[in-house]
Amino acid sequence: MSTSPEITNSVILSTEMFIALSPILLLSFGIVLSLLLIAWRRSQKMIALFTQFILVITLLLTIHLLSGDILVGSGTQITTLLNVDRFSYLSFVLICISAFVVVSLSRSVLKSEVEVHDEYYLLILLVVLGAGILVVSDHFASLFLGFEVLSISLVGLVGYFREHEHAVETGFKYLILSATASSFMLLGIAFIYSQTGNLSFAVSSNVMPWSAQPLQIFNSVGILLLFSGIAFKLSLAPFHFWSPDIYQGSPTPITLLMATVSKVAMFTVLIKCCFSQNYFNNESFIEIITVVALLSMLVGNILALKQQNIKRLMAYSSIAHFGYLLIVLTVSSLQNTEFAWQGALFYLSAYLLANIAIFTVLLISEKHRDNMSGDRDIHIVDWHGMFWKNRLSAVLVIFSVLALAGIPLTMGFVGKFYLLNQAVIFKSWWLISGLVIGSGIGLAYYLPLIFALFKDEKTLENQVVDGSGVYLVTTGKQLFMFTLLISSLLFGIFPDLVSQFIYR
Amino acid sequence: MTDIPLAHVLILSSLLFTIGFVGVVVRKNTLFMLMSLEVMLNAVGVAFIGAGSVWQEADGQIMFMLILTLAAAEVAVGLALLIRMQRRYRTLDIDVLSKMKG
Repeated sequence: MSTSPEITNSVILSTEMFIALSPILLLSFGIVLSLLLIAWRRSQKMIALFTQFILVITLLLTIHLLSGDILVGSGTQITTLLNVDRFSYLSFVLICISAFVVVSLSRSVLKSEVEVHDEYYLLILLVVLGAGILVVSDHFASLFLGFEVLSISLVGLVGYFREHEHAVETGFKYLILSATASSFMLLGIAFIYSQTGNLSFAVSSNVMPWSAQPLQIFNSVGILLLFSGIAFKLSLAPFHFWSPDIYQGSPTPITLLMATVSKVAMFTVLIKCCFSQNYFNNESFIEIITVVALLSMLVGNILALKQQNIKRLMAYSSIAHFGYLLIVLTVSSLQNTEFAWQGALFYLSAYLLANIAIFTVLLISEKHRDNMSGDRDIHIVDWHGMFWKNRLSAVLVIFSVLALAGIPLTMGFVGKFYLLNQAVIFKSWWLISGLVIGSGIGLAYYLPLIFALFKDEKTLENQVVDGSGVYLVTTGKQLFMFTLLISSLLFGIFPDLVSQFIYR
Repeated sequence: MTDIPLAHVLILSSLLFTIGFVGVVVRKNTLFMLMSLEVMLNAVGVAFIGAGSVWQEADGQIMFMLILTLAAAEVAVGLALLIRMQRRYRTLDIDVLSKMKG
């Protein structure tokens, strides 16, 4: 690059910015390397190991940056597009952890197929990259880019096993719905841009250059459209219809990826956008948030009641959980945003841990079931008597379900406590009652799930094959489940461990 | 050259967007659904270019280029799924894709 005085005056990427952005850069470099690796030799074992390696390195680098002092304060602004701060990297840590788990769990699913699955790992890395761009974005253009990298690669993953019964249906539904949602979001951005003349998240002080009065209506409609696009991705109540079908039809590791990576990233960017645009000063926006949150809590919990399919049940339960999480958006002033972030990140990590645990067990029982019969969907009936056959996974399920229900001594309880605290500060009685009622209804499907684990299997009519009844679990998986169990116990009893890491 | 008011541009793009959205909702043929999605995205493009010209900035046009890229990527994935669907069900009717219920 030429060194004319204009360019040297405005350095595009200084060393400090480079260091702050390094996890994302490393991840992108890893994607390029894995493409080269595929071109060099197509070996599934190698690409799987390489993907895990990249994710671990990215994770370690992010944690290293978090423990340093480069991310203090309002974060590092990298051009106008990105802004790296502590909270965005904390959610990036959550994203990397869940992506690593997804890659590790995928190996057993992919093994049963015949081809070499290079694209699968590449697409997972791209999903993580999209999520990484989302969490650090500070501009509508980068929000849009991250959103699309995330969703288009997710479409590829959702329909990945193209010979499976639901693959085409799931892929197509997800493609059409997510494309529609992103065009809604884009129209919202266009409307906001037309009124403010500024695409960055920071509040603009631009003045309308023409004499006509600003069309306030377009600004409000724009914010509404933007929110509905993001709400679709989070499967909040009026936009939730896709999620049970997609959850059911996707391969189980991908369902986990969708439930964790995509939702954590979208929620982080939603918080970032709302807090830096001061939407919480906007009365009608808060009203909309309240209505959507209440609807999600009620719809998610009530529709989950009659679900027998565990994946669908998890879909509805996640609708309800993101309804609860919306409470953090109702902050009264800029001073409270720190607390809101803390609550959100704590709740997200509790949600993540519980989801990872349940989907791991789901995958194991799916594999167990595949050995016995062809039907792939796991219903609650299939978990009957699990406690007597496989103690470890049953105990893990019990703890995670209790955490989702918000029983004391679990992370979920502390997370709900944060949210409740915030709703009380904001004096939003509707949200408080919604949270309480929703959790009450939630118990009505969480507890039967636990009871099912103890039920006697012999009462079932469809259980013909006994096949010795013992689950085949590899040592690695057992170790992994044990780690999950220990960490959910530990963080449940000593929540300070997590919140201190978040707060520092 | 007479100036076109911003409101007119935004109304035009909302109309186009509505046409596209209605197309996605009512069409049965998946190929036409993909085409309606394109209409929606291009409507957004009109709004961006209009807004960009009002503010005398390049941002609107750059966003439009990004949107064009997105549209191409989305259609590529969509057409791949379409071919799978044609091979499997011998039809492009969206109604065959409703096996999952509950």
